[in-house]
Amino acid sequence: MTSPRQLIGLSILCASFWPWSARADQPMADAAGAKFFDKEVKPILQAHCFSCHGGEKKLKGGLNLTSRATLLEGGDHGEVIDLKKPRASLLLDAIHYKDKKMPPRGKLPQAQIEVLTKWVEMGVPYSDKAVVRHGPPKVDAKAKNFWAFRPVKRPDLPAVKKEAWVRNPIDAFVLAKLEAAGFEPAPPADKIALLRRVTYDLIGLPPTPDEVKAFLADNAPDAYEKVVDRLLASPHYGERWGRHWLDLVRYAETDSYERDGAKPFVWRYRDYVIRSLNEDKPYDQFIRDQLAGDELDKVTPDSIIATGYYRLGLWDDEPADPLLAMYDDLDDIVTTTGQTFLGLTVNCCRCHDHKIDPLPQKDYYRFLAFFHGIRRYGVRAFETVAAASLRPIALPEEAELQKKKIAEHKRRLDELAKKIEAIETEIEPKLEGGEKDDFKFPANRPGIVSKHAGGLVTFETFSKYRGLRLEREKLEKNAPTGMAQALCVTEVGPQPPETFVLARGNPQAKGDKVEPGFPSVLTDVGPVLPTPQSDAQSSGRRRVLAEWVASKDNALTWRVIANRLWQHHFGRGIVRSSSNFGYQGTPPTHPELLDWLASEFVSSGTRFKAMHRLMVLSNTYRMSAQPIAGPLAKDPENDLMWRFNPRRLSAEEVRDSILAASGNINLKKMFGPSIYPKIPAEVLAGQSQPGLGWGKSSPEEAARRSIYVHVKRSLPLPILSAFDAADTDATCPVRFTTTQPTQALGMINGEFMNDQAKVFAEDAAKNAGNNVQDQVRAILWRVTQREPTAKEIERGVRFMDRLRQDNIAAPEALRLYCLLALNLNEFMFLD
Amino acid sequence: MTQPRIRNFCGRTRREFLWEAGAGFGAVALSGLLGDSFFAQQAVAADGTTPFRNPLAPRPPHFTPKAKSVIFLFMYGGPSQVDTFDYKPAMYGRDNQTVAVRTFGRAGHRNDGRIVEPRWRFRQYGSCGKWVSDLFPNLGQCVDDIAFIHSMTADAPVHGSAMLMMNSGRILSGHPALGSWVNYGLGTENQNLPGFVVMLDPRGGPISGAKNWSSGYMPAYLEGTMMRSSGTPILDLARPQNMSDATQRRLLDTLREYNEEHQTARGNNPALAARIANYELAYRMQSYAPEAVDLTQETEETKNLYGMNERRSEVFGRQCLLARRLVERGVRFVQVYSGGHHNDANWDAHGDMVFNHGMHAGETDKPIAGLIRDLKRRGLLDETLIVWGGEFGRQPTAEYPTGTGRDHNSYGFTMWLAGGGIKGGVSVGSTDELGAAAAENPYHVKHLHATILHQLGLDPDRLTYFYSGLDQKLVGVEGAEPIREVMT
Repeated sequence: MTSPRQLIGLSILCASFWPWSARADQPMADAAGAKFFDKEVKPILQAHCFSCHGGEKKLKGGLNLTSRATLLEGGDHGEVIDLKKPRASLLLDAIHYKDKKMPPRGKLPQAQIEVLTKWVEMGVPYSDKAVVRHGPPKVDAKAKNFWAFRPVKRPDLPAVKKEAWVRNPIDAFVLAKLEAAGFEPAPPADKIALLRRVTYDLIGLPPTPDEVKAFLADNAPDAYEKVVDRLLASPHYGERWGRHWLDLVRYAETDSYERDGAKPFVWRYRDYVIRSLNEDKPYDQFIRDQLAGDELDKVTPDSIIATGYYRLGLWDDEPADPLLAMYDDLDDIVTTTGQTFLGLTVNCCRCHDHKIDPLPQKDYYRFLAFFHGIRRYGVRAFETVAAASLRPIALPEEAELQKKKIAEHKRRLDELAKKIEAIETEIEPKLEGGEKDDFKFPANRPGIVSKHAGGLVTFETFSKYRGLRLEREKLEKNAPTGMAQALCVTEVGPQPPETFVLARGNPQAKGDKVEPGFPSVLTDVGPVLPTPQSDAQSSGRRRVLAEWVASKDNALTWRVIANRLWQHHFGRGIVRSSSNFGYQGTPPTHPELLDWLASEFVSSGTRFKAMHRLMVLSNTYRMSAQPIAGPLAKDPENDLMWRFNPRRLSAEEVRDSILAASGNINLKKMFGPSIYPKIPAEVLAGQSQPGLGWGKSSPEEAARRSIYVHVKRSLPLPILSAFDAADTDATCPVRFTTTQPTQALGMINGEFMNDQAKVFAEDAAKNAGNNVQDQVRAILWRVTQREPTAKEIERGVRFMDRLRQDNIAAPEALRLYCLLALNLNEFMFLD
Repeated sequence: MTQPRIRNFCGRTRREFLWEAGAGFGAVALSGLLGDSFFAQQAVAADGTTPFRNPLAPRPPHFTPKAKSVIFLFMYGGPSQVDTFDYKPAMYGRDNQTVAVRTFGRAGHRNDGRIVEPRWRFRQYGSCGKWVSDLFPNLGQCVDDIAFIHSMTADAPVHGSAMLMMNSGRILSGHPALGSWVNYGLGTENQNLPGFVVMLDPRGGPISGAKNWSSGYMPAYLEGTMMRSSGTPILDLARPQNMSDATQRRLLDTLREYNEEHQTARGNNPALAARIANYELAYRMQSYAPEAVDLTQETEETKNLYGMNERRSEVFGRQCLLARRLVERGVRFVQVYSGGHHNDANWDAHGDMVFNHGMHAGETDKPIAGLIRDLKRRGLLDETLIVWGGEFGRQPTAEYPTGTGRDHNSYGFTMWLAGGGIKGGVSVGSTDELGAAAAENPYHVKHLHATILHQLGLDPDRLTYFYSGLDQKLVGVEGAEPIREVMT
């Protein structure tokens, strides 16, 4: 189906790693020669030669260096290797830049020339490991049995020696690996570290001093369990875990490109995610809602809002090539859906068969066909967006009621208009001159009528007239509000366009026609597509996809989500590449544990909270994060989970914690349209029209949690982007954690920080009184959630004393200390 | 890296792999044992003791570079090639003639149009005899140092997507800017300044704002830093007004005491150490960056060379002079925008060519000529690559029934390069007799990008970043050859 010529030269990518079978035409090489080839020669060929002489894309000069046989055959210039007189080989001439010059873009370093010279002198040995892949991976029994693709089998719990350490099955799997490697699990974390860890983990906020004190005082065996249950029941849980999901679905509230326009009602999707998590909605339903909420048996406002999933991406409202733009939009959906729900980089086979995974190009277009009926987000103007991507979400009975209200409102207005008109008609003939003309304009009428009150118009008629007009004014002001609308998916109708494989991804180069289908490596069973009614709003295809993704048998779905839960609790996934479970993904560190979690998740009704509970109650989770020299040297990456992974706060946690510490955070208000915290003018200056699309929120609004901050693609909030918030143009499975000087500049000099430090200081002064020691203690409590040591208090007091000696007023000294406290590593990092 | 990538994981560097895998910077620093040469270069933080590697520390190029740094003079809005450097004698005397010519701009596809004869005379300059329009009398005198590429093409004739293409190689947002790629590949030589600086036209930023200097899927420290040509150059660089240096120092010292105690109790966690060192780095930046932008150290003669003594060229002249000071101090990539905001505030001459291009060329002619001359006399031109151009060019025909305005044109336009191993006095590629579309040797934006990377010692096909299941490249998965005709 696909000729090697169609393949792009990424072939060298995996050659050093993946054991593709050897080609038959290679002679068996002696061991030393093979080793020399693999270790020294092959990397040079891969880096400098194969892109032209690799036998895949274009074979320049007819020379193919991928096997000894083809090398000895030579190319258009004849033989390039002279086995009898190796030094005279044309290949050596070329790399020495004599007659021919290879590689053309620059002479090789001397060391590499020497390696190749030695190799030629050795008689150009190859090894039995192939040097390049010939053709894409096949969809065969072996591929289907790849660890990620095969069915999940619930493994038995492994036997361990230190049984007392095992609090739940998670611990058994972790401990078994530790024991096998001769490791001990780290001791338990202290109570405060554990409380901070779990509180941030589950709700993204620090524990309050009262919560700390209560936990320290509670010596009951289930003290920690009670904390976990309290946190899981908190409404702030959805605000924390919703953010993880929003990263995956490239959640943003604008379209990017020139106008970067706001997406109408997009925040309802964010609220849907938060609510779903707080309600502990089963994940299978969460999947169905988002992929096919409009095609379910029971369509609800929530399920319509959930399909906003399809509308979160970029939108080019004046594409140079509209057809290509449509396929780019579909690609965004294929990419996000493939990686988010299935951990598959389906997107890699848009132009050619997947280079790494057993995903033929055809599979891409079969997958795309599920979405092909989706109308583009809009054509250009807002009306087109409204037409293609907005729907009212009132329930039928609400809509009926609303219709009645609107009809009644109109009837009353009409009635009033008639009465008012009747009086005006009576007056009009009595008017004279200019007034008669003026009266033609309705706006002038009340003035004219009132002028003649008691004259042409009786007081009685006038007061009636005035009453009628006031009533109408009031009625007009209180029109029934428009029906609630949601940003959502819509389709062109029951019959989507036909889908074709596009050669090299080019919309003009149609190949074979394809029907919707699941990735062939995952299942042999094809989808059963419904035959929609002729007046149906959509094809029903996405429902079929959603049911397949959410089905209990879909091994990838459950492995991927179980791994994501683990990733966010433990700092990294069991599979580190949490959106790539393909051949190039990182293999699981604990495959049995992953399968056990996947199976447990399914059997407990695909509900998140039970899994959170299981994970955070495990002894694995409760381990200390302290480094221990021996294990650290042997397993610096902590692949064995011998300790807990310490971490820096995420961008949202940084901002929310600053607001929380200063006592300023507005936790009460959840949901609704997004907020606009102040952005410095220097940053706004980067826009083509500074300030455009960034509103102004009241101080109370601006102090809400970061998940409610407006996500404008071309204008991220500086503090969030500085601390590595997700880039929103594509799905983001794992965030960076960077350390850069601009963070420190913003944290010390930035307006937001200095303002918050002021609020913090005022609050501390109010609560702790005038004693400087008490103030320092209170401030440190807020940022570290523990009783400070005498030394720490002393240091703070001394700092403020010195500032006072420099003639800095007490309130300002206190404010500076608050600023310092907000910069502590202990504030920014969790053990 | 000239050494084979044998230790790399599947073509990724260890570093990329770890990022992809979510280990983050902390874990990367932790894995100094990995043996990668990236990690072997352990530096010491500003305080002299804490081991800290700035992620922007310099890295070796793939091969010996011709240029160390880039100044990209971005003529936002799209300067017209036939009115500037692409001389079309065939257009003269044909004003208002209707001709059959295929065009595509914001007004859509057209098959004919009314010729707008260029309103400027061209004359020959230099020993190469290059024809340059009277818009650039000063720059004209520098043609022997310039290589013109007349056959540029791009994928979109719309500002938003074309800007992204010229800046990041793709018409879709979310991809790292050229400056991010360069810093990713080479790091930067001065740790007290950002490695990728963007200076905007005071009238406003370009369309899509920060998307044009975003690091896309790469970490945020690789994104462009906006630098202002007056006042505080970088966001949050200045201490708040009421905080003295002594107070800030006291704050940082006390902070450090707390942080070191905290770190000691947690063994040698490099992420904690990095954050401690980071405050010192920021402190140094505070004092260093203002010096870099302090033009009082420059002579009047120099300032005048850049046209700072004339009102119209004062701002761009200042920015060009700043650009020189920045590359002198080891900043890797500087982008200066001529034009911003909307309509005639940039080179987007839809209505009146004479007004629009007269203004923008007037603002930039002397500063750019001054920059080339100044770099040259300081011996810096050889190692500084100057890139000039917009996101596309303009059509030879009129956009409207009357007037001289021209619509966008991505079928053919001119960009030029100078310095940094670029051959002077050459012109490569051509457009048709009206300058409507590339004719001989058409080049795409990716070839320009490949050329820029190549001059910096980076192989455009080997500068890769693993993301979304692919080894991503600035020049696209299929790779691109640099334009060798313009190289020395």
